[in-house]
Amino acid sequence: MSTPLLEIEDLQARVCDREIIKGFNLTINEGEVHAVMGPNGAGKSTLSNVICGKPGYEVTGGSIRFKGKNLLALSPEERAREGIFLCMQYPVEIPGVPTATFLKHAVNAIRKHHELPELDTMEFVKMLREEGKKLGIDNEMIKRPVNVGFSGGEKKRLETLQMSILKPALSILDEADSGLDIDALKVVADGVNALRDGHRSMLVITHYQRLLNYIVPDFVHIFADGHIVKSGDKNLALELEEKGYAEFVKEK
Amino acid sequence: MAGLLQNKPLLCDNIPWVEALRQKGRRAFEEQGLPTAKTEYWQYTKPRDLNADDFVMQNSEDYEFLTRDEHHHCDCGGNCSCGHHDETEGIDLNNRLLPFDAYYLYFANGMFIPMYPALPAGVEVKPLAEALADGEAKPYLGKLVDIEKHPFAALNTAYLEEGVFLRIQAGVKLNKPLVIWNHTEVDDENVFYNLRHLIILETGAEAEIFEYSDYCGAEKSRYFANSVNEIFLSADAVLRHYKLQDEAYKANHVALTAVRAKAAARYHNFCFQRGANIGRNEVIVNLCEEQAAAEVNAAYKMSGWATLDFTTDIEHLAPATFSDQLVKGVVDGDARGVFQGKIEIHPDCVATEGHQLHRAILLSDTAEVDVKPELKIYADDVKCSHGAATGELDEDQLFYMQSRGIDVDEARRILVEAFLDDVLLKIENEAIRAYVKSRV
Ligand SMILES: Nc1ncnc2c1ncn2[C@@H]1O[C@H](COP(=O)(O)OP(=O)(O)OP(=O)(O)O)[C@@H](O)[C@H]1O
Ligand SMILES: [Mg+2]
Repeated sequence: MSTPLLEIEDLQARVCDREIIKGFNLTINEGEVHAVMGPNGAGKSTLSNVICGKPGYEVTGGSIRFKGKNLLALSPEERAREGIFLCMQYPVEIPGVPTATFLKHAVNAIRKHHELPELDTMEFVKMLREEGKKLGIDNEMIKRPVNVGFSGGEKKRLETLQMSILKPALSILDEADSGLDIDALKVVADGVNALRDGHRSMLVITHYQRLLNYIVPDFVHIFADGHIVKSGDKNLALELEEKGYAEFVKEK
Repeated sequence: MAGLLQNKPLLCDNIPWVEALRQKGRRAFEEQGLPTAKTEYWQYTKPRDLNADDFVMQNSEDYEFLTRDEHHHCDCGGNCSCGHHDETEGIDLNNRLLPFDAYYLYFANGMFIPMYPALPAGVEVKPLAEALADGEAKPYLGKLVDIEKHPFAALNTAYLEEGVFLRIQAGVKLNKPLVIWNHTEVDDENVFYNLRHLIILETGAEAEIFEYSDYCGAEKSRYFANSVNEIFLSADAVLRHYKLQDEAYKANHVALTAVRAKAAARYHNFCFQRGANIGRNEVIVNLCEEQAAAEVNAAYKMSGWATLDFTTDIEHLAPATFSDQLVKGVVDGDARGVFQGKIEIHPDCVATEGHQLHRAILLSDTAEVDVKPELKIYADDVKCSHGAATGELDEDQLFYMQSRGIDVDEARRILVEAFLDDVLLKIENEAIRAYVKSRV
């Protein structure tokens, strides 16, 4: 039996008075991995930002339900605590805030929400070291301010680390593969796959079929001009690689 | 009911030079009056609330100048049962200790509480009135401040009597910070008081001083605290001077610190301004001999209707002198932050460096920051820089933290703390830094 986790119905959203999401429909059940592929400027990042509640994105129609709740009524932090995580295309630098401090705030905010005791510094550091090791993130990096001076690949690895320790029910990966070399790509994919336990779900946004060799999706959707133009299984990604977007956008 | 110039009885009114100085101060204040927007360096901060005519001044009690031996020496800060502390009426000294090891001097509503820390040999502390009576204050008083140009210093001079006289002998290094705790407690009346501290570090002496102004009492009452510090640093002396101003939102706090630094003397100032209706801290440093150096740093954080003003005047009067300033502010509500920073490099003062940086964050649409840098350079071969920037909290940073589950208010707090982090690191004493941080 599949339980719906995220249900998006006829979503319309605008940024700066421009209609970007135009009648978007998608249901993600527990444990499923969905890939979304689409041309530049199609609105993929916009969609992820709308799901996460980023200010400046105005929903003008439709609905988003998460675990049956009206997601649009929740603040960004409430959505995160409910279990939505956005692995950002462009992670933000925060000078003056050590990465470890930032992560501790995040972990404890989410634990508190689930009525778990907050981790003390010792427990937290131990957990961080273990998870960091798997992703090739050393202590020195964790002491540095959030993303400041991190290379593109390091930023993506830090995003993956956050996902690993926050253990979200739904991870949205917005071009987690951009700027990664082959080895880093495997490391990030391993981190993502470690969370696949049959219950957690993923929404993987990418331009390249390559990532989907590592994170194998249950469904692939082609997203153009603000909505899904075609859905299929993992083979759709291969077909897309061959034919390009033009074919599918035309189909509509 | 009375304004700022009152005829209140003052200690030591039988000493001609003291009376002459007070008269001079009174005349200088009468001539200048309260600063207006036209007064130099008072363009932004408007002390018009001080025009009120209902200020009450309390009369200082005669300390019946005890001889040194009869002074009560105690480091308990009021927590022991020696019986002496109970005599200090009007203020509860219990729990009046900061979370770090220090020597304490207490003032309540501008009046010295005759309780003396057990200071090491070579460190001399007495109430200003005692130094007026024995004449020791005479060579120092008024030597660093031009009262014809500083109306509040003139007013302060008119009421000379309360404050401390601190002298550290050559080569003596004070082993713990000295806290000068300036506590204000007002009920129904609007209180006005003046403090004048003289701080003298002889050759090679070293000390850390923490000035702390706090408040408890009725929220509605105004008060006006007007203080002047004159600090004399002989060659090679090092003074780390920290100040935390953490007061009622109706407080009016005007303070002027004037410093003279001789050869290779170092003056480090850090001022954190928090509460007050008007909080003005002005620091004047005269670097008079080669290798003298000053670091004048500050942070301010407020909301409501407050105006917090940090004004500096660094005078490079000798070659090879150095100054550095970092000032950071966080302003919310309808509050206003003011930074006026002057650096003057006098003729022939070559190989001199003067740097200044101001950064502020506005947390609301109605908050305001006014910055006036002023560099006057009359010498060649100098390195000077200044910069100022005012912005808002970064929306993307806020969202990034929220998207990880962190509450938006908590995220704001973390960003504000991060913003102030580097300036707070200027407090070298870790315990004092931790305390100031806890009050941010
Ligand atoms: N803040 C904004 N102001 C104006 N236009 C915006 C804003 N954010 C996004 N857009 C526009 O919305 C459209 C969709 O952008 P979005 O970033 O969602 O595309 P994308 O599918 O993620 O593209 P890419 O593959 O290049 O990452 C683009 O045309 C973009 O210029
Ligand atoms: Mg994008």
